[in-house]
Amino acid sequence: MENTSLIALSRAVTLQRQMDISANNVANMNTTGFKAEQPLFIEYINRPAPDEKYSLVQDYATLRDLSAGPITQTGNPLDVAIEGNGYFALDTLDGTRYTRGGNFSMDSERQLTAAGGLPVLDDTGNPITIPANARDINIGPSGIISSGNVQIGQIGIYKFENEQFMTQLGNGLYQTDQTATEAEDVVIRQGFLEDSNVQSIVEMTTMIDINRQYQNIQQLMKTEHDRLRTAYSKLAKLA
Amino acid sequence: MRSLNIGATGMLAQQTNVEVISNNIANMTTSGFKQQRAEFQDLMYQNIRRPGSQSSDAGTIVPTGIQIGMGVKTGSVYRIHTQGSIVQTGNELDIAVNGAGYFQVEMPDGTTNYTRAGSMQLNADGQIVTADGFPLLPGLTVPQDTITITIDATGQVQVKIDGQIEDQVIGQIQLAQFPNDAGLESVGNNQYRETPASGAPVVGNPAIDGFGRIEQGSLEQSNVNVVAEITSLITAQRAYEMNSRVIRTSDEMLSALSNLR
Repeated sequence: MENTSLIALSRAVTLQRQMDISANNVANMNTTGFKAEQPLFIEYINRPAPDEKYSLVQDYATLRDLSAGPITQTGNPLDVAIEGNGYFALDTLDGTRYTRGGNFSMDSERQLTAAGGLPVLDDTGNPITIPANARDINIGPSGIISSGNVQIGQIGIYKFENEQFMTQLGNGLYQTDQTATEAEDVVIRQGFLEDSNVQSIVEMTTMIDINRQYQNIQQLMKTEHDRLRTAYSKLAKLA
Repeated sequence: MRSLNIGATGMLAQQTNVEVISNNIANMTTSGFKQQRAEFQDLMYQNIRRPGSQSSDAGTIVPTGIQIGMGVKTGSVYRIHTQGSIVQTGNELDIAVNGAGYFQVEMPDGTTNYTRAGSMQLNADGQIVTADGFPLLPGLTVPQDTITITIDATGQVQVKIDGQIEDQVIGQIQLAQFPNDAGLESVGNNQYRETPASGAPVVGNPAIDGFGRIEQGSLEQSNVNVVAEITSLITAQRAYEMNSRVIRTSDEMLSALSNLR
């Protein structure tokens, strides 16, 4: 008897969650290295009786759009963008974390650090220290940092078997138990940053769509409520 | 509705972005000004279903989980210390640094501030001072009856005094460099102050050991790229509008909810 309302409720809940994800995408439209997300819904079949079944909707997962964001020029010599699949490795107290955000700087010990002061790791997993006499810092397409003819180190770029498995921690950081392997076929661009890959038009239309669907679901709930009320009042008269 | 708050964090972040951009545009002709950039980071994630958690006794695992972000925050506003273009002014006390290094300025309380703006003046005692009247360090006093002042690329200051044949060396301009320029604290008036993040200054003579050259009769312009700032301003404004749209949509959804019976 209540099934219609339950089906409508399952949709209303998932729509709210979809709206949350869309809102987070729009809020991070200008966040360096951000990847847009979308929910994945599946059908959940409920069988209250052997000869009876109805489907609910369930949000099963959030998927990241792993396509590259547009690369914009900043002119800062320590801003680097990755072209291709790969992540920078950062050293934190809780272990190595990975990021796509390449807005690096130097700390007072001349270590190369990412936003938040986390040291950037090289291809052997050690922090990179830029010597005091190094002036014009040059970062090559393979991540090799040099000053003049002197090679200082190489920024480590890592890839993983399944990037969707990586947990997001905020601040652009990802965590994973998968083994990191050195990424090939990636190009490092110095003086550029990877922008967020959120497509604002898609998000706007998604939001309109969510809004309308939400209104439809509310209408459905209302109609169902009216139907039940009529049924009850008619049945009461018969009794 | 989380989306209401998420939209609000987005609007706040874009407001900061517009403030930073407008400060850059306001200082597009300030000599020695270095442009700033706002950098954003995503906020923490709420794990509704953690990726990799088990979904059955048979050991099947959730492929990607459900993680919902809580919005955006301003991660940092940092300066981009690239060289500004150097223009000739012809004024003999206008000096520009071509390369790395800051002029040292002695403040009334005895501390040292650092600046890239080289529009120097003489005060009543003949001292070389900044536009605000603070003396340059190490102190340089120009004798009376001086006809011309010559500052060479290495920062040596020579004066030609009326009636003397030989030029007289009165001192040496020294520059300071920091391990991390981006860590300097801006105090206004084109000046910066040392912080633990910037590291201790290394003082040296211009044109050697990686210090920049001194260009007399020139000023360093601001390194603000106006075209880039205007396009960032347009992006920031659109992002602001879209975040307000998120709030409106969330509001409409809530209103649909409250109209339900």
